[in-house]
Amino acid sequence: MTEVDLDELMENLAQCRRCGICRNAVYEDKGFDGVCPVWKNSAGFETSFMRGRIQVALALLEGRLEKTEENAESLFSCTLCGNCTSICAAEFDPAKCLESVREILNKIPNEVRDTIAKKILENNNPYVDENKTRRDWVKEVGFDIPSTGEVLYFTGCTAGLKLPETAKATAKVLKAAGVDFTVLEEEPCCGSVMIRTGMVEEAKKNAENALKMIATSGAKTIVVTCAGCLKTLREDYKERFGLDIPEVLHVVEYLKPLIESGKLKLKKSADSKKITWHDPCHLGRALGVYEEPRDVLKAIPGVELVEMETNREAAMCCGSGGGLRSYDGDLAKKIAADRMNDAEEIEADIIATACPFCEHNLKDGADRIGSKIRVVDILDLLAENLK
Amino acid sequence: MDKKIIAELSKIVGDGYISTKQSELLAYSVSASMASNAVLPGAVVRPADSKQVSQILQVAAKYNIPVTPRSGGSSLQEEVIPEVDGLVVELLRLNDIKFHKELRSVTVGAGVTYGVLEKFLKEHNVFLPVYPESALVCTVAGNVAVNGAGPGSSLFGCTGELVLDVEAVLPDGRIITTGSEANPYASGPYQRYSFGPDITGLFIGSLGSFGIITKVSMKVFKRHKYYDHNTFGFETHEQAEQFMVDVKQNDINGVFTSLYEGPVLELFMDMIGEELGVPKYEWPFRTVSMTIGRVREDLLKSDAELAKKLCVKHGGHVIGISQLPYQEWNGRLWFFVRACYVHGWHWRTLYHHQTPTNAHRSVEEIRRVMDKYGFLGHTAGFASGHSSFNAYPHLYFDPQDLEDEQKIRDAHKELAKTLFKTGAVPFKMAPYWADAIEGMDNYMTFLELIKKTIDPKKLMNPRVLGGL
Repeated sequence: MTEVDLDELMENLAQCRRCGICRNAVYEDKGFDGVCPVWKNSAGFETSFMRGRIQVALALLEGRLEKTEENAESLFSCTLCGNCTSICAAEFDPAKCLESVREILNKIPNEVRDTIAKKILENNNPYVDENKTRRDWVKEVGFDIPSTGEVLYFTGCTAGLKLPETAKATAKVLKAAGVDFTVLEEEPCCGSVMIRTGMVEEAKKNAENALKMIATSGAKTIVVTCAGCLKTLREDYKERFGLDIPEVLHVVEYLKPLIESGKLKLKKSADSKKITWHDPCHLGRALGVYEEPRDVLKAIPGVELVEMETNREAAMCCGSGGGLRSYDGDLAKKIAADRMNDAEEIEADIIATACPFCEHNLKDGADRIGSKIRVVDILDLLAENLK
Repeated sequence: MDKKIIAELSKIVGDGYISTKQSELLAYSVSASMASNAVLPGAVVRPADSKQVSQILQVAAKYNIPVTPRSGGSSLQEEVIPEVDGLVVELLRLNDIKFHKELRSVTVGAGVTYGVLEKFLKEHNVFLPVYPESALVCTVAGNVAVNGAGPGSSLFGCTGELVLDVEAVLPDGRIITTGSEANPYASGPYQRYSFGPDITGLFIGSLGSFGIITKVSMKVFKRHKYYDHNTFGFETHEQAEQFMVDVKQNDINGVFTSLYEGPVLELFMDMIGEELGVPKYEWPFRTVSMTIGRVREDLLKSDAELAKKLCVKHGGHVIGISQLPYQEWNGRLWFFVRACYVHGWHWRTLYHHQTPTNAHRSVEEIRRVMDKYGFLGHTAGFASGHSSFNAYPHLYFDPQDLEDEQKIRDAHKELAKTLFKTGAVPFKMAPYWADAIEGMDNYMTFLELIKKTIDPKKLMNPRVLGGL
């Protein structure tokens, strides 16, 4: 496992010269209309954005600040969305550094973080005791899905247990595209939230176990519908844990060539819809997947794709990442409401995304402001428009 | 800070907008000023409006608590470092913008940044034409309080020259509005020089020492439609400096006219030239990089041609690389912040004005202290008004090497003294300059008298103005 090099981390943190651009820069040329969603939607003190957080991190690491839960609070009230990294003028990645700080300081008490990690290690998911129920959705798709095969659909905990409609839609779309795919009998959690909240040793144990379970499928390609799973399996398993995992693709990446080659045929949407795309942070800023989902949406006949003011590298976060939804659910939902207002401003009918965390939180955000905009996973849209 | 005082302040701003958390105080103990000693305040408040600021200052006066106003926190010369157990009044919630189309002016709350304002004004095809280099994070009111300058200053002068009036909360809590708006029947901000002395000017560059600026009204101008970007090379500093003088003498509309040393330009272009699209070039001893802006094309053409002739007249050559001035001006919200932080060094700066023909003295002085103390650094600058030149020396150090940092502090102190003796003037009396000035006794006595009259308890940002 790649361990955090403390000297290197300190050197990186020292790259922050407190210019403060990571707070609320509005810079049209680069697409920014604000930067930190937490600063914007909280009381807005200095530690609510990265400049202040880095000062707190340095003080905790150097022993200038006592290592207490309260003193470390600001390290966790961050979605790790990476918008600060996108605009930072210095040569370092503030969001990645904060993730490392969480790892190094993971002995500082934090009940929320510890509970999530414990549940994942005990139950293979952060939500329920009985993990086997996460395959229940398979019974409702109307066809059999084997548990071994070359293409594995890794459902993810949230789609499997909280938003099974997305899982069902994905299965229908893959079948319609002629893909023989498999779903594990008992799928493990990828461990994303453990890595983001600093429980990296535990995450590694989980990853090794998960990889063994994935290996039972015989998969050569893994497709996911969760942006968090994508980043974790594709990037962290390899780079952080040194694990040899088959090719991992988000289903939008996987489907784009199938649509273009005509293998997946889509019919005209029932009525013309103005759809906007919300870039999940783990898909966009983290892995640079911006155009594939847009191309997929544009391939649905009758769809008008419109952009929110902030998009791609400068897109505002939905508020659910980095463990914030668990750590401060109210703040996470406020951020989601703010993002929904972005969609309201351009009068979109639908806001589509490709991450169940985003979908779930944006729905709560929509409720909060009474928005009538439909929040939907891109796979749900595709399933509705299959020929 | 005493619980009773906290309770009184909470009543004013609401519980959510006051903090005494250790971690929060620590974050407010510093700013973008590097090699500065952190000072923990006792509390931070984030008021919503001028009325709350007024009530806060009344509480501070009642309990003799020193107050440090702060907005973007991007100042580089310790302007917002708080006092021990003092009160930080953070103004970013004051974010109203009001455009006065007929008056060619805009009024902004103390929390409005240049980035936010630029977007707003663009919709009206006007601009506030002087931008600090930290424009994406710096507030307009903050820049007025530090009397800043930056891109645009070559034509429009320092930020202070664009101010029509301010709304300020005095140390005793009274709220005043200066300029034409001192008249409650005035239709808006249209004349700074009203009712006698320039009270507006008292607050420009005052660093919150006389009160807290809660609103500023600024002149705005029609956006230039036509630009010419060019670079001019010279083999002596006299040639380059005389060229800059002649550009002004001939009323060439250089909105941003920078002067660089060859090695400095090479160093920075090695780092960011490619990403900015600036071609590789062996930069001469001195380069003047100039953007001319005009609202009419014929005037632009005439200016651009004349600039080339003047360059040759002064023994220079037209380099013809337009990307550098293009990026300086078109990318003015980003170019400088990128250049300042792309390298890993921490640095101290010592902003000051010179005459254009004395620009080389700033270069000589920084080179002298660099040699003496053994550190890396540079200075560059730009025309900053009617006949001045703004130099911004950067002194580099490694923040993880305390000896290195101390060296910079010592060198910096010495540099302030020697620059002063070259005839240079600071924008404002930030703490760095306190030991440097001499022979200004009467001026300082008068300043002290003003301070005593306005702020008899010396509660408002006491570390600035030489600690009067």
